This record gives sequence, C-alpha cells and structure tokens, in this order.
Amino acid sequence: MAKPKVSSDWMAGCSGCHMSLLDMDERIAAVLELVDLRSSPITDLKHPDETGVDVGILEGGINNTSNEAVALMMRKRSKILVALGDCAVFGGVPAMRNFFTIEESLRRAYIETESTDSSGKIPDDPELCVPTRVRALQEVVPVDVFVPGCPPDADTIFFALSELAQGRIPVIKDQNLSWQ
Amino acid sequence: MTKLIINNKPVEVIDGTSVLNAARSAGIEVPTLCEHPHLTPYGGCRLCLVEVEGARTLQPSCTLPVTEGMVVRTDTDKVLAARKFILTLIFSERNHFCPFCQVSGGDCELQNAAYREGMTHWPLQPNWQPFPVDASHPYIVMENNRCILCRRCVRACGELIGNFTLGFEERGARSLLVADLGVPLGVSSCISCGSCVQVCPTGAMIDRWSAYRGRETQVDKTESICTGCSVGCGINVLVRDNNLVRIEGTWDAKLNEGVICKVGRFEPLAEERNRLLTPLVRKDGKLKAATWEEAFSAIQAKLAPLAGSVDKGVAGIVSTGLSIESLYSFKKLFSDHFKSNMVTTLEEGDYTSQGSLLAQEMGKSFEGNAVDLQKADCVVVFGVDLVKEHEVLGFFVKRNIPNGAKVVIVDPASNSLEYFAEMTLKSGKTIDANLIKGITAAFIDSEAGKNLAKAPSESSIKEAIAKSGASEVDLKKVAALISGSEHPVLVYGKSLSAETLKALVQLSDITGAKIVGTKGGANSLAASQFGLNSPVKLNGHQLVYAALGSEDPSQHIIQLLEKAPFLVVQAAFSSALSARADVVLPSQSWLEQEGMYVNFEGKIQKGFKTLTGPEGTKSDEEIFAVLASKINFKVDADWKKSLREKVAQVIIQG
Repeated sequence: MAKPKVSSDWMAGCSGCHMSLLDMDERIAAVLELVDLRSSPITDLKHPDETGVDVGILEGGINNTSNEAVALMMRKRSKILVALGDCAVFGGVPAMRNFFTIEESLRRAYIETESTDSSGKIPDDPELCVPTRVRALQEVVPVDVFVPGCPPDADTIFFALSELAQGRIPVIKDQNLSWQ
Repeated sequence: MTKLIINNKPVEVIDGTSVLNAARSAGIEVPTLCEHPHLTPYGGCRLCLVEVEGARTLQPSCTLPVTEGMVVRTDTDKVLAARKFILTLIFSERNHFCPFCQVSGGDCELQNAAYREGMTHWPLQPNWQPFPVDASHPYIVMENNRCILCRRCVRACGELIGNFTLGFEERGARSLLVADLGVPLGVSSCISCGSCVQVCPTGAMIDRWSAYRGRETQVDKTESICTGCSVGCGINVLVRDNNLVRIEGTWDAKLNEGVICKVGRFEPLAEERNRLLTPLVRKDGKLKAATWEEAFSAIQAKLAPLAGSVDKGVAGIVSTGLSIESLYSFKKLFSDHFKSNMVTTLEEGDYTSQGSLLAQEMGKSFEGNAVDLQKADCVVVFGVDLVKEHEVLGFFVKRNIPNGAKVVIVDPASNSLEYFAEMTLKSGKTIDANLIKGITAAFIDSEAGKNLAKAPSESSIKEAIAKSGASEVDLKKVAALISGSEHPVLVYGKSLSAETLKALVQLSDITGAKIVGTKGGANSLAASQFGLNSPVKLNGHQLVYAALGSEDPSQHIIQLLEKAPFLVVQAAFSSALSARADVVLPSQSWLEQEGMYVNFEGKIQKGFKTLTGPEGTKSDEEIFAVLASKINFKVDADWKKSLREKVAQVIIQG
C-alpha cells in the first residue's frame, strides 16, 4: 500500500495547533515514515495536490473569503478532512468577534486601538479578501474527523495521525479528548 | 421498600426514592447537571433521562420516584443518543467557549459530561447573542453566557441560605439569571455567601479570586474548620504551591452541610491588610526590624521586674480566634505566672460571661445546639444580628421561613433579620428582663399556659405585662407564636444582663423553647471556661501584651490599649495597634497553624494547618512556648481538664 498523502493548512487560528503538531518531537519522524506529507504552511509546498490527497488537515476557523477558498479547496482535494483544534471545531477564540458586527471589529482593529494614530484607516483594497462572520469548519464544508483542544495535545495529534496513516478513522476519546 | 430492575439488575430501595438515587445505590452511574444532592430535584437539564418500560417517552430519573416492578434502562442507544442531543442543545443554547473559561479542563461539569459521552464537537453553533456579564460584585462574577439554566444557584440561594436573591426573569431562550428584580449583583440583597459559586456546574457563577489560579486536579485540598466565628463550619481549603486558591464549605460537615459565609469563603482571599513578617522593636521612638532574640529580650527586660506584682503589673489580652492550646498557654503564663489581674480577650466576655455565671449558679448547662436551630419553626432572636455576624446561624433560621418558620426579633437596635421577621419588638436601649418576663406572663396567660403546674396569680401576670414596656397585644402575639410551634428556639448574642438571661432561661423552662447562645469568636467558649472573659480595665498596668491572632482590633480596644506604657503586640497582620506597639511579634494566620476549637454548641473540633506561614513568623503557640521557656515557666498541656473545670452554658463534647 502506498503511503497516504497528507496535506495541512491553517486559517483563522493562531498556528498553535501546528506548533503542537511539531511538539510531538522525534515521533514526527515516525509519522513521516508512514505518510507522504504533500503540503503544509510550514513546508515548501503550500497547496494540496490537484490530483487529491488522502487526508487534509485544517487548523482555524473561517473568518473571511480567503479562508473559505482554503477550506473549499482542501475539502475538494482530500478524501478525509480533519478539523484540528478548537477554532476549526467550533470557531474558538477568533469567534469571540461574532459578538460584534464586522464594522465594529474593523473600526476597533484599525482605528480605535491605543497604538493607532489619527491616520488609522480600514483597508479597502479591492484585492483583499472580505471579512465574514467567524464560522466553524463544519459550517462551510463537511468534516470527517474532529480533533478538539486548544491546542490539541501533541499526543492526541500523534494518535490521530498514526491512526489515519494506518488507514483507520481515529476515535478521539478518554485522555485524547480531555487533558486533566 | 420498593423493588425494581435497573439494567437487568434487581434493586431494592426505600419507597419514594428517585430512580436516579436507586440507580446510584446499585452502582449504576447516570450523568446529571441540574441535580445536586443537597438541593431539591428539579428535572431541568434532562441529562439524566432513562428508558422506563411502558413509558411513552424517556423519563428524567432525578424527579421520577420508583414504583414497584419498574423496569429501567440507563444504557440503551436511545438514552445515549438523547444524552448527546441534550448536551448539544445545552452547548448551543448559550455561548460556551471552553478555551477561555476559568473552569474548563476538569472543573466544569458540563464539559466533563460531554467528555464522558465522547463528544468531540457538537453539530450546532453557539447562540452568538451576547448575554450580560455582571461583574459588579466584589467576589462573584455572574456570566450568563455560560449559564445552562439549571437553577442550582437559585435553589441554593433559597433552600440553603434562605436569601432568595437569585432568580430568573423572562422565559425559554431569553431566560436570564438575575439578582433581585434585575439589579446588579453587587448592589443586590446578596450577602456574598458564595453558595451559588460552589454549586454552579459551569463557569456561570465564578469566584473572581480563585479564577485561573488552579484547577481541582492541581490543588491540595485540606478539610478544616473556619475560625471566623464561634459556629466552626467545616471548610475545604484548596491550596496550590502554598497559595490559597479557594475555600469551600464541606458538604459532609454535619454542622453546616456545605454552607459557609463570606467570612470563611472570600475574606481570607480578599485579605488586604499587610502581613507582619519580622519582629519589630521600638528604638528611639521608631519601630525597627529586629531578630526574635532581640524582641524577646526587650519583652523580658520589661517583664522580669513586673512578674508577680498584681497591681500595676502586666495585662494580657488575647483574641478568641486563637486555638484552645494557645489560649491555655496564654492563661497559664499571664494568670498563673505573672499573677496578672487583667487577663482577658478582645471580646471582653461580652458573649459569654453572664451565660457562664448562670450555668455555674444553676449547676447545669442550659443551651441547645445547632440541630435545634436547624429544625426550629419559631425563632425569637434577642439582640443579635444574624445577617451580620454568625451568618451561618442566620442561614439556618432563614431557610426555614418558607416552610412556615416564624421569626421574632427583640432588639433595641436595627436588625437586618427584621426584613424576614414575623414581628419586631423594640424597647428601651437594652433588652430588658421585664420584657422577657412579659412574654413569659403572656404565655402563661394563654391557652398553652393553662396546663402549667404552678401558675402565678392573675394579678402578677397583669403586673408583669404592664412592667414589660411592650403592648399586651404584641406580647400575646409572641407568646402565641411560641406556643403554636413545635420547636421554638430563643437565640441570644451578647450584652444580656444577668437578670435578662435568667428571665430568658425562665421563658425557656416554661415554654419548652431551646436556648442557643451564639458566643463570639471561634474559641469564645474556651476563653470563657479559662476565665478570660472580663472587660478590659487598665489602671496602671505597666505592660500590656496583646495577642491579636488574625483579628483586627476594634476602635474601642485600640483606644484602651494605645495609652499603655509598654505595649507588646503579637499579630499576623499590621494594625493601628501594631503601629503603636513597643514590640511586635509576627504570628501566623489562622490558616497557617493548627489547633483545637470549641464551637458555640460545645463541640471540640480541630483546625488544620493548610498553608505554611511566611519565613520569619511563628505560630501563636510557639511564641508562647518560647516566652515561657525564656522565663523558665512550664505550661502543662492539660487544657481538656481546665476546659471542663466549671459548668459551661452548653455541654462540652469531644
């Protein structure tokens, strides 16, 4: 059996889940023995193969049109889609912004912050993506595996990846579900 | 007994038991959220749904009583699916964001319930409508976004405390936890007991002092007792790396059953006074840091010539918050060794001296205990504000009011319990013995008094009523409330005269009402038994030794003591007195030392050391021991005998 192809990407998150992935230390070598890592935000290639991959992993929620494109592309090109971390699972910390309107958030971020002088301006370049309400991955595309955690523990990610690498759908439970 | 079958297991329980408790008794776990063993079942969260043979739908096991031959299943696919669905609805009903919640990661019952069902996510979105956060209270934050509408806090506030501050406004999805009629919690009728925080299954009611300071699994829990007053409630002290994280009421404590007041729960965390960390000795008019050796030498130099001189000698004043062992050493040192004629406590026997004298005169104890108060259906409170002091006793009284208990306040001053009272009697500036005699006379005059063996004459009754200073109608009403109840209790606090207290005992004898004396500080009764219960009178005492413990001295005490020619202050915290002192000895706080305490009902309990005192401080007992060794005096350890040497107002047990 050929090694399963894996791609990952991040959206509206803090990249902490990918840091947690790296936190599995030397076990990452074992995982790479088992899988063919095609693309990720922390390797050279950034997009999953056009011909498709076996497992797509997404970190972060979806808070603008650019994230939407990332999610749609990953869903389209992967057989199994994994929502990695709380932001991808249900919106997480960025989703706090949903309590305000987008106008309010932008005004606060670009004009009203204490470090902004009088020249503050909300970016309006037509080439920029458009901010939206923050959504969980499952609100935009169907998700196959949820790995919650803020961030998920390195052990949990290792478990999930090794299960996927061996052709099984990981069942996240017990100590992989709650770290206490 | 009722027999039923749960998960194919035959179970036999007492009639009327809930299916939930029946399952638990058989070792079958059913998850719950709104249910709490100390609160009335409510059936609000539906997480405990079970399948009952013959029932049309799933049934909430917490509110469903068992019936003979019932067949229950708690583990079918239908039940498991319902649990996940209910949790999904609860999670999406409000805005639950575990990553930034104080209680997530083990302390949240909602999160734990979801983990238990193996939920990695829930398919619905949060509500996204922001609900109000009320941070107006000094100790508690009310976070409606995390509320699951289980109403545990509302039930605790009403059923356990009797305060009824918390309630809900609106209906359905708009339901909102509010204080009083929707005022900020900080300005509401809340008395800051924190029971709502202790029962909240999520992070909706948060103790703002313990937030983020350590989860249940990261802290050391020590069971101890609160020494805030004479009630002696059981507490659990949560400590992480010698930092106080939180204090909770012990549910298993027979006396308070989980309930404590702000004095035990929040005040130790919100402590703002400065700690005394090193001995201080006054040199050239200024207090300067010194070693323990220098401090003891300074005291010894002053003490040596004074020892044994009764007049103009030494005066010792101690806090009733100290352990029995410490009080005993103090008494032995100052009364027996220094022969001081002024050895007493900061509360000056206000709560205990008359009761102690009367018990000795009568040759027996005349007071009841906490259980009497807990089951009281008529409470007459004489001059003690149970909302402001001995609060837990106030909870015992207030929680019975919705069940029909009547409260009568007899207090010349304003009393916060008046709001809950059936009636209030006011007369003069103090509680007069004649007033109590008037109540007794009115009782004898009533239907209930007809059976009394030797009834006084009609005219003496009329005279007593006339002399009472209260209206006959009022007296008859009080008498009727007492005679109309099964478990009447008379509660008194401080400053009753000998005559008044005698009148109270007479009232108790005639009506069969129990008497409960609140006492003052944690070891008020022990201090009284050791004879430390006279008013502070300084006339020419050359050295005053004040052991304040963790107590803040009152203005009255400060005024009395600041004129002392030489003042030694042994205390955990700095105060006006320590600033005025000539020698300051830094002691440890009540959480940092262990010792025995005897509470208001005469029960001897142990307080445990839950924190390690700061470097350079000593426990009170240790300081007294060093002092004794410096003057070659040996304190025996037989405080138990001394505690029982004279008859106390209440039977001492343990």
